[in-house]
Amino acid sequence: MFLKEYISDVYNGITSLLKGMRQTGYYFFHPKEIITEQYPDNRATLKLADRFKGEVVMPHDENNEHTCTGCTACELACPNGTIKIITRFDITPEGKKKKAIDTFIYHLELCTMCNLCIQACPSDAIKMAPNFEHSVYDRSKLTKKLNLPGSKVKEGIE
Amino acid sequence: MSHEKAINDLKIKSSMFSLEGITSSLHQWLYATLSPTFALLAECVIVILLAIALFAALGLVLVLMERKVAAHIQIRLGPNRVGPGGMFQTVADTLKLIMKEGLTPDKADKFLFNLAPFIVMIVAMLLLAPIAFAKGFQIWDINIGVLYLSAISSLSVIGILMAGWASNNKYSLLGAMRSGAQIVSYELSAGLAILSIVVLSGSLQISDIIAAQENGWWLFKGHIPVIISFVIFIIAVTAETNRAPFDLAEAESELTAGFHTEYSGMRFALFFLAEYINIFIVCAIGATLFLGGWMPLHIGHWEGFNHIMDYIPSSIWFFGKTIFLIFLIMWFRWTFPRLRVDQLLNLEWKYLLPISMLNLILVTIIAIFGWHF
Amino acid sequence: MSASAIIFYVIAAFLLGTGILAVTAKKIFRAAIWLLLSLVGIASLYFWMAVEFVAAVQIIVYVGGIVVLIIFSIFLTQQSGREMPGPSLQRIIFSLLAVVFGLAFTHKLIIDHGFDNAVSQPFKVAVSDIGLQMLSTTEHGYILPFEVVSMLLLAAMVGCIVIAMKSKQTTIPSPQNTEEN
Repeated sequence: MFLKEYISDVYNGITSLLKGMRQTGYYFFHPKEIITEQYPDNRATLKLADRFKGEVVMPHDENNEHTCTGCTACELACPNGTIKIITRFDITPEGKKKKAIDTFIYHLELCTMCNLCIQACPSDAIKMAPNFEHSVYDRSKLTKKLNLPGSKVKEGIE
Repeated sequence: MSHEKAINDLKIKSSMFSLEGITSSLHQWLYATLSPTFALLAECVIVILLAIALFAALGLVLVLMERKVAAHIQIRLGPNRVGPGGMFQTVADTLKLIMKEGLTPDKADKFLFNLAPFIVMIVAMLLLAPIAFAKGFQIWDINIGVLYLSAISSLSVIGILMAGWASNNKYSLLGAMRSGAQIVSYELSAGLAILSIVVLSGSLQISDIIAAQENGWWLFKGHIPVIISFVIFIIAVTAETNRAPFDLAEAESELTAGFHTEYSGMRFALFFLAEYINIFIVCAIGATLFLGGWMPLHIGHWEGFNHIMDYIPSSIWFFGKTIFLIFLIMWFRWTFPRLRVDQLLNLEWKYLLPISMLNLILVTIIAIFGWHF
Repeated sequence: MSASAIIFYVIAAFLLGTGILAVTAKKIFRAAIWLLLSLVGIASLYFWMAVEFVAAVQIIVYVGGIVVLIIFSIFLTQQSGREMPGPSLQRIIFSLLAVVFGLAFTHKLIIDHGFDNAVSQPFKVAVSDIGLQMLSTTEHGYILPFEVVSMLLLAAMVGCIVIAMKSKQTTIPSPQNTEEN
């Protein structure tokens, strides 16, 4: 019984090692599999994965409208105070008060790209952009205002 | 000692330098123009210069090869900036290492600390002597070739132990202890694997072992037992050269760099170079014992095929086989994770040693009854 | 002086120098390293005499085996880096006397008997001859000592295993017993 176990140990060991070597050998002999991006050279044609998280942006459509209602769910979700939302109350044509954002402040220098704000957003107003060239000469340039000047919330978003 | 004996001695020693073609004509020319003593000295100088040139070239080529192989196995590109395809990366690295300051720790044993890298390097140089690089191109065809190799290679552990102790650093000492335990135990199965070829060839001399493989390499002639001993040999020498998956002696994540933690500059470069020289040497031994050294590939009675193979120079055969084995060892390194120290010793004492002992008996039976091809 | 003689004297000087350093070194690890170098010197003397097999065995057994074990045991002892105190005067006197006596004894042997250097032919023995002689059963064969030595080694190995084996019952050894060992 001992001998049988011993031999099966040796056999399993060798086959599992060979399995690993087959995979790495496949990679070695197939240079097409190489995923290295030679970054500064291929800046024009650089392709990043869809799930790459570089910074938080707020998409605006052609009418300069976004979908942020100013609910501050993202601000509450952020673990290190990266987002600060300043709200104001607009008067609708019917004479009602409606909450809207005045300034969406995003501190890129504090952000860890954890994606919690995007998950917390009920109206998909913000998303992660594959943008990673963040170096600037002054730290204050990293504090960004995400809503464009003069933008307003899209109709029908509550 | 009489004068006659001295001359006799020199003649014997000079006949050990068996060289062919260019080398033999150079030999004759030297002996015709100079007195025997100076001719021998001149030959020594030439051999030393060739060895140093080989070391430098090997260091540059093998380090680049390692980095390229590692990159391609890990789906990366590797060094590709210095020179075409990154070819001069190692030259740049060497220049950097030469410029760096060689530090010695304050409370280190300075003499031994400085001696250790040279011991490791001298051992690597001594191991070069009996290796046949091409037909008739061998520094010293000593009659105990294989025994000499295993004897001298057991010296390299001294350099490592010395470096680890003299650094006065706990990581270095731990690395040296691990390396010592590892080398001492894996030497056994490497020796038994070598012995199986010695049993088949019936000689310890490298030239005899190569001559015995004229009609086929031992790996193909010796049935399954020789294949088993080849596998054991490769595993054991990977462990003896302290390479992954057996690189516990310099495990970066646990011991910073093991026995060479405190070394910098040129002394570190010597350790680094010695690692690659040792890989080359053990692969050259493997190629000589199992793959026929400089012998071309011959298959049975295919006269035409054998004839074509004979046209390829013997040095290309030797270096081709050696580089193939080096590639194999690099392939291991970048595929397998590091072993734990108890797993390492289990592998040797519970698996490799019993298997290689049994295997040696099988090989002996094959050799006695002449069952090999 | 021929080149061969020069090489001999270089090796001899190396051997004696490292030997003296091995006994006078203050640090135990250094003493081990000097011992190792002097053993390497003996091996190189064998190489000089063109008895390669003996030289290789010298390196494997003494340098690769015994000295490595000594170094290991030094590593495992405490305070291996400390400088040891010098020996007492009594010890120095007696060891010097022993050295002088040994030197005189050897010198007398050499003077009385002499060694003729008539060996003009270098002595060449194939390794296979050594093996055959070792296992030959004829008058000058070494089969009996060979087998006796192998039995001794087997006994030593069994003893090692017995010492290293974990005993089932945990008995705490008394201090007297450990001192004896």
